[in-house]
Amino acid sequence: MPLIQIFLNVLIHSSNYVLIGISIALLYQTTRFLNFSIAAIYTSGSYFVFLFLRIFNFSLFLSIIFSIFFCVLIGFLIELFLFKKIRKKKSSYLISVLTSFGVYIILQNLISLIFGDSTKSIRSGAIKEGINIFGARITPVQIIIIITSIIITIFLLLFLKKTKIGKAMKAVANDAELANISGISSDKVISISFAIGSGLAGLAGILVALDVDMTPTMGMNALMMGVVAMIIGGVNSILGIVCGALLLSLAQNLGVWYFSSQWQDAIAFVVLLIFLIFRPQGFFGKKFGKANI
Amino acid sequence: MIYLFHIFILIGIYIILSLSLNLIAGYTGILSIAHAAFYGIGAYIAALMALNFNSPFLLNLVLAMIGSAILGALIGIPSLRIKDDYFIIATFAFQIITFSILNNLVSFTGGPMGLPGIPQPVIFGIKISSHLSFLILIVILCIIVYFVCNRIVKSPFGRILKAIREDEVFTQSVGKNVSAYKVKIFMISSGLAAIAGVMYATYITYIDPTSFTVMESIFIISIVIIGGAGNLKGSIVGAIVLVMLPEILRFVGLPNSVAANIRQMLYGSLLVVFMMWRPYGFIGEYSFNRNTDNG
Repeated sequence: MPLIQIFLNVLIHSSNYVLIGISIALLYQTTRFLNFSIAAIYTSGSYFVFLFLRIFNFSLFLSIIFSIFFCVLIGFLIELFLFKKIRKKKSSYLISVLTSFGVYIILQNLISLIFGDSTKSIRSGAIKEGINIFGARITPVQIIIIITSIIITIFLLLFLKKTKIGKAMKAVANDAELANISGISSDKVISISFAIGSGLAGLAGILVALDVDMTPTMGMNALMMGVVAMIIGGVNSILGIVCGALLLSLAQNLGVWYFSSQWQDAIAFVVLLIFLIFRPQGFFGKKFGKANI
Repeated sequence: MIYLFHIFILIGIYIILSLSLNLIAGYTGILSIAHAAFYGIGAYIAALMALNFNSPFLLNLVLAMIGSAILGALIGIPSLRIKDDYFIIATFAFQIITFSILNNLVSFTGGPMGLPGIPQPVIFGIKISSHLSFLILIVILCIIVYFVCNRIVKSPFGRILKAIREDEVFTQSVGKNVSAYKVKIFMISSGLAAIAGVMYATYITYIDPTSFTVMESIFIISIVIIGGAGNLKGSIVGAIVLVMLPEILRFVGLPNSVAANIRQMLYGSLLVVFMMWRPYGFIGEYSFNRNTDNG
């Protein structure tokens, strides 16, 4: 396999890890727990597109817009009816994590109940050979995926830095109580981050489905890759997540090159374990103490 | 009658699994989603020993427990360095890596084809082959595991585990080596989970990696939580309820493919409902609420 092909594959994979990684990081920062229900929202994104495109016969663009809207709605409802109430009770993060697990199980099985476990496709037309770049191949869809991810990442970067809501999100991430005192409604900010996070996750799911089809369990794997990218890069910065995603997919692609593709997951998690043991704050993260009481 | 025996045997296996997970999750307050990995490791060690070396059942059981306990120490050690929510990810990683090894080392573990023809246990010359004899064996093992767990949680060792659960920093400040306790309880718990694995492998006489996935881990966690974390009797109640409940669906007459999804959704809903309104489970003592780490 030529080097340029590996480079392209790294770009394709990491652009997806970045989207789901940012989605998880947004929620993790504002709510302080790892939200597994994002995995189900990721899957629902692509299945909504399938529903609108194949069953209601909408155009692809319209289906994607509707699908993202419904993902945002699901995220918002989950937050409103479950996680907000849990926060009000001042329960610990373990309760939230387990609840999000429950939500994931319900949604994932609902999807496989409705659509079946077999692979579904939203690709149109015959499979083309792809564009040749210096002996490496890339399909137009993959180019679109990469460009979309770059645009969204830059947009989010600016959004968090420049807008009032973005700054409020950072304030809540830093210290929710202090943010509340200074007049920022942390509930509102968390709702918004749920909405953005869900939309992002849905979009990431759609983009992957455009390239490699969908199954009801695709979300969990994607979520874990996003988490790995997030932890490698450091939770606190989007650029960190981008670097984490690049490093992760580089490790995976080299691994596939040396061994074989079935070890992809194992490689990702070995990288993760190494980071967790030796540098748990990630590349760019600040070192955190165990006793921040 | 055989059907009933089969259900009871499954309940027995899950009682062992949830009792052992309760030691970590309920008593020490560390959430691990790698329990199915230890369950699987136990099953695979025993199966490979029996198939390759034709070694006796009790030796396999002991070796499976030791092997699983060593790997338990391996996953326990990172827990000393990382915060709790990262630890969940670390156990998740361990679970995926284990599954990946079982699934991909085809020459060694049989890969997705699994390991067929695992010999049934022979204990002191008695061959355990009928459902009834298996049930008796599993009941005996359950009782032993229950007494071991009971002994642990009632001992000074168990009290320190509870102290770690309630306030880790405080426990350390009164001179207890929290790290050593965590690693020890991880080893014990993984060793006990291996018993369930060995029983499953010899009972079904066939294993493949799909029996030991993340979903299985989550199922075991659900048993512990719904039964009641921090209470050994809760684990027994939980295992009985969660194994029996989906069996009711069988009598409603749903097709098999639908029933599997509905069963999972039932577990998911129970998990959400209990976490929202009754985090103590049926008869638990610990609600996963800790005040120490609101970071």
